[in-house]
Amino acid sequence: MEKLVELRGIVKRFPGVVANDRVDFELRRGEVHALLGENGAGKTTLMNILYGLYKPDEGEIYVRGKRVELRSPRDAISLGIGMVHQNFRLVESHTVLENIILGLREDGLRIDFEKHRRRIIELSERYGWKIDPMARIWQLSAGEKQQVELLKILYRGAEILILDEPTSVLTVQETRRLFEALRRMAREGKGIIFITHKLNEVMEVSDRVTVMRRGRVVITKETRETTKAELANYMIGRPIVFGQKKASAQLGAVVLKVIDLKVLGDRGYPAVNGVSLEVRRGEILGIAGVSGNGQVELAEAIAGLRKPLAGRILLNGVDATGMDAGKMIELGVAYIPPEGNKLGIVPGFRVVDNLFLKAYRYPPYSNKLLLNWGKMLEKARELIEEFGIVTPSALSRASSLSGGNIQRLILARELSGIIGGIPRLIVAAYPTKGLDIGATEFVHDLLLRYKEMGSGIIFISEDLEELLLLSDRIAVMSGGRIRGVLAREEADAEKIGLLMSEAVVQAG
Amino acid sequence: MSLKIETRFGRIRVERRVGYGRLYSISMTLLSLALAFLVVALILASLGLDPVKAFQVIFGVFMKPSLLLESIKQSIPICLAALGLSIAFKMNFWNIGAEGQIYMGMIASTGIVLLHAYYGFFHEWMVMPLMFLASFLLGGAWCLIPGALKARLGVNEILPTLMLNYVAILIVDFLVHGPWRDPKGYGFPLSIPFPEYTKLNIVLGEPAYTGLLFSILGAAAVFFLLEYTKLGFEIKVVGQSPAVARYAGIRVRSTILLGSFLAGGLAGIGGLSIVSGIIGRLRPGASPGYGYTAIIVAALAGLNPWVTVAVSIFFGGLITAGGALQMSMGIPKAAAQMIQAVIFLMILVGEFIKRYRIVIERPGASER
Amino acid sequence: MIEWIESVLGLTIQVGTVYLLASLGEIYAERSGVLNLGLEGIMVMGAALSFIFTLAYGHLVAILVSVVTGILMSLILAVMAVYMRLNQTVTGLALTMLGLGLSGFLASPEVRKVMLLALNPLLPESLLAIQEAPKLPEIHVPLLSGIPIIGCFFRQNVLVYVSYIAAPLMWFILFKTRPGLSLRSVGENPAAADAMGINVFRVRCVATMISGGFAGLAGAYLFLGFQPFWREGLTAGKGFIALSLVILSTWNPLRAILGAYLFGGVEVIQYRLQLFGLGALSPYLLTMLPYLVAIAALVAVSIESVRKRIGVPASLGIPYSREE
Repeated sequence: MEKLVELRGIVKRFPGVVANDRVDFELRRGEVHALLGENGAGKTTLMNILYGLYKPDEGEIYVRGKRVELRSPRDAISLGIGMVHQNFRLVESHTVLENIILGLREDGLRIDFEKHRRRIIELSERYGWKIDPMARIWQLSAGEKQQVELLKILYRGAEILILDEPTSVLTVQETRRLFEALRRMAREGKGIIFITHKLNEVMEVSDRVTVMRRGRVVITKETRETTKAELANYMIGRPIVFGQKKASAQLGAVVLKVIDLKVLGDRGYPAVNGVSLEVRRGEILGIAGVSGNGQVELAEAIAGLRKPLAGRILLNGVDATGMDAGKMIELGVAYIPPEGNKLGIVPGFRVVDNLFLKAYRYPPYSNKLLLNWGKMLEKARELIEEFGIVTPSALSRASSLSGGNIQRLILARELSGIIGGIPRLIVAAYPTKGLDIGATEFVHDLLLRYKEMGSGIIFISEDLEELLLLSDRIAVMSGGRIRGVLAREEADAEKIGLLMSEAVVQAG
Repeated sequence: MSLKIETRFGRIRVERRVGYGRLYSISMTLLSLALAFLVVALILASLGLDPVKAFQVIFGVFMKPSLLLESIKQSIPICLAALGLSIAFKMNFWNIGAEGQIYMGMIASTGIVLLHAYYGFFHEWMVMPLMFLASFLLGGAWCLIPGALKARLGVNEILPTLMLNYVAILIVDFLVHGPWRDPKGYGFPLSIPFPEYTKLNIVLGEPAYTGLLFSILGAAAVFFLLEYTKLGFEIKVVGQSPAVARYAGIRVRSTILLGSFLAGGLAGIGGLSIVSGIIGRLRPGASPGYGYTAIIVAALAGLNPWVTVAVSIFFGGLITAGGALQMSMGIPKAAAQMIQAVIFLMILVGEFIKRYRIVIERPGASER
Repeated sequence: MIEWIESVLGLTIQVGTVYLLASLGEIYAERSGVLNLGLEGIMVMGAALSFIFTLAYGHLVAILVSVVTGILMSLILAVMAVYMRLNQTVTGLALTMLGLGLSGFLASPEVRKVMLLALNPLLPESLLAIQEAPKLPEIHVPLLSGIPIIGCFFRQNVLVYVSYIAAPLMWFILFKTRPGLSLRSVGENPAAADAMGINVFRVRCVATMISGGFAGLAGAYLFLGFQPFWREGLTAGKGFIALSLVILSTWNPLRAILGAYLFGGVEVIQYRLQLFGLGALSPYLLTMLPYLVAIAALVAVSIESVRKRIGVPASLGIPYSREE
């Protein structure tokens, strides 16, 4: 079979790391080729090189057998290479059509809207999609946005398609539809590179799979000749134990009771639409669901960052509805925000400032007016030790820390009890996203330790394995509602998936 | 950073510099200043004016005691306004309205003087403290308007602060042409001259010394506020990221209100120092753009209160030199303003050079 | 009555054109993600240079020089804010200060004399010291200028007609053509535009230069077409008012027409009220009107935008770089 792409001996160094170390890779016509690896294994870097975003330090790139040099995405596009990034690159306020034809050098200055409209509809129907070219991007669901991204590439006649973690924002149904479309594209003779860290998806959609670990290719194999367990072994370098971390579940009094809560999202529509739930002392309540279905808004309402539209929030029996973040902190709510490096810390501040971002205003770290830096520094050094934050000193800038250490810093601030004892309620939104295995385990162990110490915990995640591992109960959320709550004993991936997709049908 | 320019000679690439020392930083700033004066020299020379002689006049200001004192006097309103701006800019509150806040401070202090002089309110010894209080309050209130618009309605502060400058200047025009005109002033738009006990020199004799004292006290206050108080910490968090501040349970709105009030208040006292320290009465155009100069000073001083005091004196000197240039060389006064702007631009470019370095690669050489 | 309406309307158009020309260019800059706070400084430079060059070489050269100067000044901003990624607010402000300082310097009697003699040694002595220049002549469009009321739209100078054509043309380019689409995309989501092979830096640079060119033109018009009498800082914040107008027009060239004439109208009302003895109270209080209206407009738009999600270009004021 014809080789569409061949990468030979690619090396890419960033300050302090070798992201790609003599990587070889090939893509054949008509195949779906999975590129499997953990976060930070170098998959995305490799693909950014193929898309002309990065220039490799060493190595050669061949496209359809010819050696090429890619100076920018423009070069890649003209060679028929297209990439769908993990974070969509769409202009939210523009229409689908405007996004698709952006940068296209065709006909004159004036845009022939009617011609493009027809062609886009034709193209999307070929893959079974129903997309209104005149709709604005912000009106679309995540699945539809992804279709627009694909249309953007296909519209330029791309044959080499790179998809970076395409399913992370999709529901089960949307994922299935995507896979159907991908198979169809492969049948048409295109080559598809599918970046992922999910083993199930590799088995389901790919023809071949290349596994990367720490910047190197471990192996390339026909998918049907391998198994999940073998791939996992290649990916992590040691066998995964699919066990449960059993922690004694001694449930106590109700810490948090949410009654029929409605919360507005950024778009001005209710993102949380009538949620009721309960968390007890010593309990981890997992919240499953595709991200963007109201989980963050729910968490922010409980943390006092969003005013509820309706409904009530009771903390230890006290009505805390509509209280601001400061009050919630004083009531013992710890909040680990999603994307901690953006919302959880001030990168330009020192480590000590970030550790005391909340506690600075309470004694003994300050009196009515003045800060007590001596006390804060002393405690900060203790916390750095206790939570294993790797930093030159408490006075270093937080921006110099790695992702895992930033998360440790946030956990130290939220959980260590510098604001009056261990937290009564911990709201953790995607606390392990983007972390490596070591850091992820640290977070898991910490949450279990606080569970045993009697905190009530809300644990929001997209990763079913992780949810099944930690949660006592799992609530499935979609379209701003809780679609069902499963006890750990009765929960499994299929049941959760079913609840998620049922909800989609209900939502229309 | 990945600004890359491909040229025939190779690839020009700009990289972020990973950390730099204080000495490097200072020397780059001095280099930018030198560059600014070079540009000014070119402009002067192209118009047939002798740049060497002009620079002799400018730097001569700092050599002659009487002119140095004048420079210090001129630096007081600049310094106080710039200190206020340091607070605002730390809060990421783009207050371009120091000029207007200065004018409001002048109105407030003149108002107190007139109340005393016309209606006999207050004891003599009370007038000065009240002038301070009133100018702080009115300057603060003037900055509180855009502050409240931002905190309550999310209106970006840049344009409102600018607009209010023009409004404040017109209020002064209105007052000195109308109700506050000196009845014995032959119809000139001037307030009555201030009595001796309402002038800045009552503390240390010479207004420059008194003013310098206030500048240093102001710097100390701002330094203490930002480094050692809860409010200062909150101001800095809000400045870095309002979202994180909210997350940390900081009341973002009240912080903005308080911070903008303090910023305007300091500029207001700067206004007091003009009418009671430099001019001795209120007149139209009493500030030749001190509030704008303060923005340059705050930027050049890197929002450091102590450095602000020194930089203000330098700019006070430039303004003084403007007058000297006109007298000795017939160079229009606007030249001082032009020099300030060129320095400002060069300082900004210097900031860029500080943070980045430019790498030129020859073709064929591989990227590092 | 008709005469009175015509004179008010005609004057409104004359004042409004200053704002319209300045805001048209600024819309392009802001749509591409660059806030050009140097508008005021560029306008005042345009005014000063059109004053000097009209005396030396006449109107056409003067207008061209103003436009070119505007483009060059905004190039400074583009290099600093787009390529060097310096703070746009501070950089723009520095540019405004430069414009105010340099214009005051160049147009001051001493320096102006030197410049005029260098430009045109044959200039009579009487022209070296005067503070004013000949105004742009009015051009009456045959037939149309005769229509009652509407006619006053067609008894204007050439730059007003330029603004009539420029506004719809710039609307069309922005919303109906490829370059316009690229420009808008760069201001909304530069990463998306970059991924589709658009040179974000170049688009922003060009848009900023367009804003500079129009600001220079606005400055030339302000002096030559409206008040051809030089005094230092004669723009008096008109550039900043134009910036508020851009927000009021929600970054749409067609709506900018309405907004510009609204602000023009406010100023005309202020002149009229002064004539009507209300000015006896004080001309200074009435002069505040445009600034206060500008603030009110900003507040109104701000409230409105929360309600209707009026689109501020999402990347306005944020320097772009590919993250590595």
